[in-house]
Amino acid sequence: MNDTAIVTDSVKRFKWVGTRPIRPDGIPKVTGRAQYGADLKLPGMIYGKVLRSPHAHARILSIDTSAAEKLPGVKAVMTAADLPQQKFDYIGPERVAVNFWHVTRNIMAREKALYEGHAIAAVAAISNSIAEQACALIKVEYEVLPHVIDVDEAMAPDAPLLFEDMITRGVEPVPTKPSNISKRLAFAMGDVDAGFAASDLVIEHAFKTAAVHQAYIEPHACVAKFEADGQCEIWSSSQGHFQMRALTAQIMGKALGDLRVIPAEIGGGFGGKTVTYLEPLAATLSKKSGLPVRLTMSREEVFRASGPTSGSSMWVKVGVKNDGTIVAVDGIFKFQAGAFPGSPVMNGCLCAYAPYDIPNQRAVGWDVVSNRPKAAAYRAPGSPISAFAVESVLDMCAKKLGIDPLALRLKNACRIGTPTLAGPKHAHAGYIETLEALQKHPAYAVKLGPNQGRGVASGYWFNGGGESSATLQINADGTILIATGSPDIGGSRASMAIMTAETLGVDYNQVRAIVADTASVGYTHVTGGSRVTFATGTAVVNATKTAIKILCERAAMIWGVDPEGVIWDDGYAKPAGSNVGDFKPLSLKEIAGKAAATGGPITTSAGVNAGGQAPGFATQFCDVEVDPETGKVTILRFVAAQDVGRAIHPSYVEGQIHGGIVQGIGWALSEEYIYNAKGLLDNAGFLDYRCPVSSDLPMLDAVLVEVPNPTHPYGAKGVGEVCICPPMAAIANAIENATGKRLVDLPMSPPKVLAALSA
Amino acid sequence: MEPARVVFTSGFAARYTKGVREFAVQAKTMRDVIGAMDAMFPGLGFHLEEETTLAINGEYHETGLFQPVPPGAEVFFIPRIEGG
Repeated sequence: MNDTAIVTDSVKRFKWVGTRPIRPDGIPKVTGRAQYGADLKLPGMIYGKVLRSPHAHARILSIDTSAAEKLPGVKAVMTAADLPQQKFDYIGPERVAVNFWHVTRNIMAREKALYEGHAIAAVAAISNSIAEQACALIKVEYEVLPHVIDVDEAMAPDAPLLFEDMITRGVEPVPTKPSNISKRLAFAMGDVDAGFAASDLVIEHAFKTAAVHQAYIEPHACVAKFEADGQCEIWSSSQGHFQMRALTAQIMGKALGDLRVIPAEIGGGFGGKTVTYLEPLAATLSKKSGLPVRLTMSREEVFRASGPTSGSSMWVKVGVKNDGTIVAVDGIFKFQAGAFPGSPVMNGCLCAYAPYDIPNQRAVGWDVVSNRPKAAAYRAPGSPISAFAVESVLDMCAKKLGIDPLALRLKNACRIGTPTLAGPKHAHAGYIETLEALQKHPAYAVKLGPNQGRGVASGYWFNGGGESSATLQINADGTILIATGSPDIGGSRASMAIMTAETLGVDYNQVRAIVADTASVGYTHVTGGSRVTFATGTAVVNATKTAIKILCERAAMIWGVDPEGVIWDDGYAKPAGSNVGDFKPLSLKEIAGKAAATGGPITTSAGVNAGGQAPGFATQFCDVEVDPETGKVTILRFVAAQDVGRAIHPSYVEGQIHGGIVQGIGWALSEEYIYNAKGLLDNAGFLDYRCPVSSDLPMLDAVLVEVPNPTHPYGAKGVGEVCICPPMAAIANAIENATGKRLVDLPMSPPKVLAALSA
Repeated sequence: MEPARVVFTSGFAARYTKGVREFAVQAKTMRDVIGAMDAMFPGLGFHLEEETTLAINGEYHETGLFQPVPPGAEVFFIPRIEGG
């Protein structure tokens, strides 16, 4: 990959931060020794299987499990009746509120099956084949109901209702009739109508995007062992084992202290493994059988039953002056939530115009249920969807005005102090720097050939902070263990070791970073929201600084001086001044070797609720070639500039950006859920659900723009999500530049492109 | 000391503060802010802690008690994201 870096604040001045040591998880992964969720095998372990709804929408009249229970080899059968009732209430940690009345029904259906693949019952048996046979013996009596898949159709007054008592929230006066619309959100600033009246050019358009899956390589998997004393251990592949513990405890009615969740290695999550599907079922089956239970999803189950991100229907209107000043924006964003409320439409609204300084803004969001799997988080949830619409209309404005698309964005770019539709003013810079990086990029001046086009788009994501913990141990030989509660998805073991080594002033190879289970380190929120390097990194640095204080105290004891007379410098305890005494500096290894004599093991912990995270800004351009005979779009070049704050390990940062681009290309060109007339998914596998592969891709050029975040010890900003926001619009804009045809319906697959060319 | 400017979204204000969106509050920490708002609108502190996220001078934080509030700061409460 042709990656480059632009540092805006100063010459790099670190020993380890910004270097590219070999990844600590590399050898176990390439040798096949890493333990993923489905790899663990315990003595006496049995195998679970979930019976799933064959209907898109059906009332469950009865479930008879008696025949399955009698099948030899079957050890336990469960239905939703084995899980306690949950209160209807939106509660939850961090910036996400969860309604467990919905969550428990998504984990296992109660009154109705709301989508094909909805879990109905589960079995545990001595083999997978017996478990499958037992599932086939469960008699479920359904009353099949009319279904609805599309978001616009779900909002129609005569649409089949998923919940007969769901009254839209956020509408005044309160509606008297139920609908599939869970919630209406409205945000506004300035005077939008006056803004449009003052504009020289107003362009509006409607857009649709398909629901797309996170398409992680590893399906969901876990093993649960429920003991007779009520204690339960769960081995789980997830983006947050503390989250799995909390969700499982709530769903089962257990205390947090009764559950211990051990993180398995994770084969991709992208947001989709922040929610639970299997853990409460495996634990319940284990409780009923008295044996450890492994439960895994097949790829088909992943597609039919786990969360994609929302599909959408949108409308966006932009008013500009002839000089390119954007005066007003308006948008309606209708998001599929899947079968239960809770799409990322609020994020979509609040991120839509966030890169820009626009005095008059309005966004109305609709959260809509339909007979599809419940939407789950997917990289910058909501933001890429609204960015597709907004960045497409901005491109239309730039073309109409004859202004370069980067120049149009630069003219309207947000700065520190720019108001946002969310309310608060921008507190961090970084967007302008991404635009300027692309303006200077040599590829932006490359001339294109026939049927080729170039498209630009930008994106914004909040990035996360919140609760994280770290525990540090200094071993007798001077090696260091740093344990965190953040599952390593994007290289956190390497970045935590780098920050520890940098803070201590020791060799990176002295530090071993691990992901500890819920009983071995303090609470840590999920690896998601681009929060880990920022929040967990802050906890790691705090734990390391406390260790340095102890190391200085131990050195003071060895020398017989006051602790205030000792400083820590580049891996050594040194006298603070000549008045302290003439002592040879003590290395960390020397102090560690005398730990027993100076007070015992040196170990520290830190817990933080990290705030002040900086948002992510990204701007990308791509060059495409459109085959006029087939409609196939070939990506020729992709250049992505992103403000990364400070790249702790640049290779991982570039990898995040490459991954975001590739997933964005799939979202743009080929990925979609194809439902048949019965509301059943016709493409539940990677052969028919088409993700980009290496042969679809050019070299990807990640440009790391470093505008450090002053609230992080080393300036880190979240990097894992904003990179997926621009690609869909960038590609649509490039196709328009190549063909003169504006595509507004994702994916822009060959049939759609060909139809547009023929129109 | 210059008071903090406490701001709510219009929806939150309609639900809990009789439609008033802005308040001036003497505060050194978020505990002072939440305490003052709860004194004005009994029970509001619970809703702030459970239903909002926070921006102090544009910097996002989880709503807590411990964050320092600089003199004259803008303290903006926005709704939590709904996750399911």
